[in-house]
Amino acid sequence: MRNNAIVLFVVSSVSYPKYRFKLNSYSTQFPVFEEYPELAYLDNAATTQRPKAVIDAINKFYISENANIHRGIYDLSNQATTKYEAARQAVADFIGASSASNIGFTKGTTESVNVVAQSFLSKRLNQGDNIVVSILEHHANFIPWQMLAKEKGAELRVIPIDEHGDLNMPAYKELVDQNTKMVAVNHISNTLGTINDIAEIIAVAHTKDAPVMIDAAQSVSMYPLDAQYLKYDFLAFSGHKMYGPFGIGVLYVADQHLSEIGPYNYGGGMIKEVTIEETTFVKFPKNLEAGTSNVAGVIGLHAAVEYINQLDRAQIQSELSELSQYTEELLQSIPGVKVVRLPKHHSGIFSIEVEDIHPHDVASFLNKDGIAVRAGMHCTQPLLTDIGVPATVRISLAHYNDKSQIDRLKASLIELIDFWS
Amino acid sequence: MTKEEIQSLYKDKILPENKAPYHFEKVDADHSVKAYNPMCGDKYELYFENDDQLLDQVHFHGIGCAISKASTSILVRRIEGMTEEEAEEYCKKFLEAINSSDPDSLSDEDLKILVELKNFEGRVDCIKLSWEALYDFLKNKTS
Ligand SMILES: Cc1ncc(COP(=O)(O)O)c(C=O)c1O
Repeated sequence: MRNNAIVLFVVSSVSYPKYRFKLNSYSTQFPVFEEYPELAYLDNAATTQRPKAVIDAINKFYISENANIHRGIYDLSNQATTKYEAARQAVADFIGASSASNIGFTKGTTESVNVVAQSFLSKRLNQGDNIVVSILEHHANFIPWQMLAKEKGAELRVIPIDEHGDLNMPAYKELVDQNTKMVAVNHISNTLGTINDIAEIIAVAHTKDAPVMIDAAQSVSMYPLDAQYLKYDFLAFSGHKMYGPFGIGVLYVADQHLSEIGPYNYGGGMIKEVTIEETTFVKFPKNLEAGTSNVAGVIGLHAAVEYINQLDRAQIQSELSELSQYTEELLQSIPGVKVVRLPKHHSGIFSIEVEDIHPHDVASFLNKDGIAVRAGMHCTQPLLTDIGVPATVRISLAHYNDKSQIDRLKASLIELIDFWS
Repeated sequence: MTKEEIQSLYKDKILPENKAPYHFEKVDADHSVKAYNPMCGDKYELYFENDDQLLDQVHFHGIGCAISKASTSILVRRIEGMTEEEAEEYCKKFLEAINSSDPDSLSDEDLKILVELKNFEGRVDCIKLSWEALYDFLKNKTS
């Protein structure tokens, strides 16, 4: 019997122990959980899973709709172009942008931030100016500003956090001044789960005429981000963290900056006229989309937006906040487990340390119990250095998780701590 | 690897080495080599005295997971007393064995276990970290 079991482990490269466990009603829409009903996927901050609707939309495109956009004068190409532009409109509506022309497609949050740094801020940043970021930032919303500040002789100012892991807002207000040329902060921290008060951050920056870039990578899946209400200048997010495909992301640019976003890459599909002497370019967003676009990615992103739109997000938020509360209580009830920071404004992301056991070892053993978490620095090295923790185990929740999975997490952690001692 | 197999490997080899690592302290030395994995934050420094190209006293210090620490500890213990060339060759053989998953090419039981641990998903970088750093250092020194 045992030998048979081992053979099975070898045949399938991914194998999780079998638990009898009922899928919650959201998870039934995600094929991966049909494949692995026993998987407790608690790594949603790294990438979410994809619902069937998204996978189907991408498949359908490749099977029966595939053609390149913009340049073909035949039905399939025209149809692909129409679908591509319909997706742009859907994304605009999703975040309450005034028009589709505010929406540019990128490879993801990282590229969106780099575009704003290089194609917007670079030409207006001078010596003596400053850029304000927070210590909570992912490297994607930190390094592009740090590099630009160095290049231009400008100052990088960093908003600190308090002992809970919330941003120190009084300190922030002191940091912004007449020379602030950009404020760039995330909405939700991918390491601590802090929910930042972006409405307040934006309002403060605007009193000094500083534009604000919001990294919404961790919040776009469930939190309202209305452009008209929040009035951010730039917004970045990634398809793969909102149930959509890898390799596609969004950069929103507010009306007043549209004409100030220059080209980012050079190539085909973004030009007005090219001569041997010079080239003139079309405006944002088309000037961003040099080369052949990730058309299937855009189609998949559209399906992800539609998937989110049909959910009752208020209901899910309240369920998620209950699950988050439950997770917090269980984690805190395990001797030897420490939640490194518990922000007052907190989403479903937890960074923990397990006494004497390195995060990698924790994650490896949890994996053996069918629990997927992430271990490491989560691309937030300045933050971990600041709080004096070399690495953490990160647990990040989504609506398809449920309490039984958190119970298993607890049991698994207790067993590991016991085994280690 | 099953959970039971992993548990027994940890219990027999990794945890004892992790809890009592060999020559685990910061020292002033002729040479030091940094082994750093920026993806996970594991960070060690290997220190050695060399008299006439002989790795006389080797120490290490730093932070990392049980596997990288145990692997570094075994490395340090084994290369002490070797010449630089011998240590370079030793690291090379181990890295070759791990890259080809061929534990039988090694005679040392501890090293075999490390190579086997390669099948512990996603942890091969932890095993190789210090070996690669030392190998690169010695190779560049001789070439
Ligand atoms: C807060 C935050 N910002 C930016 C990123 C980078 O996103 P991407 O890798 O999709 O460009 C991530 C992804 O981990 C993130 O969590």
